[in-house]
Amino acid sequence: MKSARGAGGELRRIVRINEEIKSVVATAFKINLMAMNAIFLAKRAGQTALGFGVLSNELRRFATDLQQQMVVLREMTYGSVATVTGLLKQTQINRVIDRARKEASAEGRKLIDEILLKRHAEAMLRHEEQIAALNRRLTQMIADTAQLVELGSVLARSAKIEAAYGGGFSSSLMQVSSDFERTIGEIQRSLENLTKHQVQESAA
Amino acid sequence: MKTAQVIYEDGSHKWHAIVRDPNRQDYLIDTNEYLIVAGDDAILLDPGGSEIFPAVFSALSTCFDPRKVSKLFASHQDPDIISSLSMWLEFNPEAKCYVSWLWTSFVPHFGGDKDTFVPIPDGGMDIIVGSQRLQAIPAHYLHSSGNFHLYDPKAKILFSGDIGTALLPPGENSLFVENFDSHIRHVETFHRRWMGSERAKRDWCTRVSQLDIDMLCPQHGSIYKGADVKRFIDWFAHLEVGVLKS
Repeated sequence: MKSARGAGGELRRIVRINEEIKSVVATAFKINLMAMNAIFLAKRAGQTALGFGVLSNELRRFATDLQQQMVVLREMTYGSVATVTGLLKQTQINRVIDRARKEASAEGRKLIDEILLKRHAEAMLRHEEQIAALNRRLTQMIADTAQLVELGSVLARSAKIEAAYGGGFSSSLMQVSSDFERTIGEIQRSLENLTKHQVQESAA
Repeated sequence: MKTAQVIYEDGSHKWHAIVRDPNRQDYLIDTNEYLIVAGDDAILLDPGGSEIFPAVFSALSTCFDPRKVSKLFASHQDPDIISSLSMWLEFNPEAKCYVSWLWTSFVPHFGGDKDTFVPIPDGGMDIIVGSQRLQAIPAHYLHSSGNFHLYDPKAKILFSGDIGTALLPPGENSLFVENFDSHIRHVETFHRRWMGSERAKRDWCTRVSQLDIDMLCPQHGSIYKGADVKRFIDWFAHLEVGVLKS
């Protein structure tokens, strides 16, 4: 059974996850803008940067998908906050009732045993099951996002290759594709942190 | 733990004062809770904060079945008054909490739902407990802006919330005021600071002077009885309140 300390730790973990999500959302927004600029650049380069233009479009779609994914992830963490708050409240009630049981006369103790202990044990179990289910969904969502970001990484690498065929625009295209690669690398590191927080939860 | 002491008894009509926890942590203000029993029904007055719930519950369960406490009366919204609400509702989820209409959307932060609260209008109301008709007496701005006391006309007892409060030093913790003149020294500073309105104070003194009161029971400190009740009301009427000075 989770203690108040455990539930408090759970809340802190959710806050950390939320901070990582915020950082991914900001980076995804940056990629979106970068992709738009890349599309314009490819248009200016014309025939020599057709492949780069296609990849820039794909990267822009990737950034939009990533932002949507992050919105869902953020909603899930808000849901977790509500569940964990319920668990914290339950833990506090249990603590006070436990103290009341210790102080009460035989009759009071009997009353608490009869009415409350079973009910609260069941409520705690319910809360814990909800948290476990949320965590499973969160883990799955992070894995899906990691897969999406892997695709983004492949697109950035391909853009780099295409940039080499950009003729007079080659160095500009190379610069843009390197920026893509670096920025997607930042997202991958944020996702690694998210996964780490999830793993910490499983170990707790 | 606290003890439940009978301060009035007439057949199945009783007032219990739940008082004086020797194990209370001194960072928590000491509080008095009162249980009015009428036959098989009961109302708990200012049930207290959640931190002292174990002590109040333990004392109460020695004299009455906690599941039969059907009403809770909150003189106002402070945490030392009613933050234990959710605990009491565990024992009787149908229990009603009587509180000023002003606080019915604030106190649910301590527990309860839309069916839990009975809003008391500004002019007060009658509250029926068993065969007894009790009266919620307005005491607004003393100290809370939505504040009530509870009068039992048969027992001639007025539960006076924070009015009459004494912050007693260690060792002076008698249930009843024994020496008014020395007791009032522990009352004065609190009332000057906490009671915010001269006009409200005068209105209250006029209102309660018309009641037949044998005992005046505050939420903190000792109970005034007999001639000390009138002495206290007269003293309070002449005290300058709502001023920031010692």
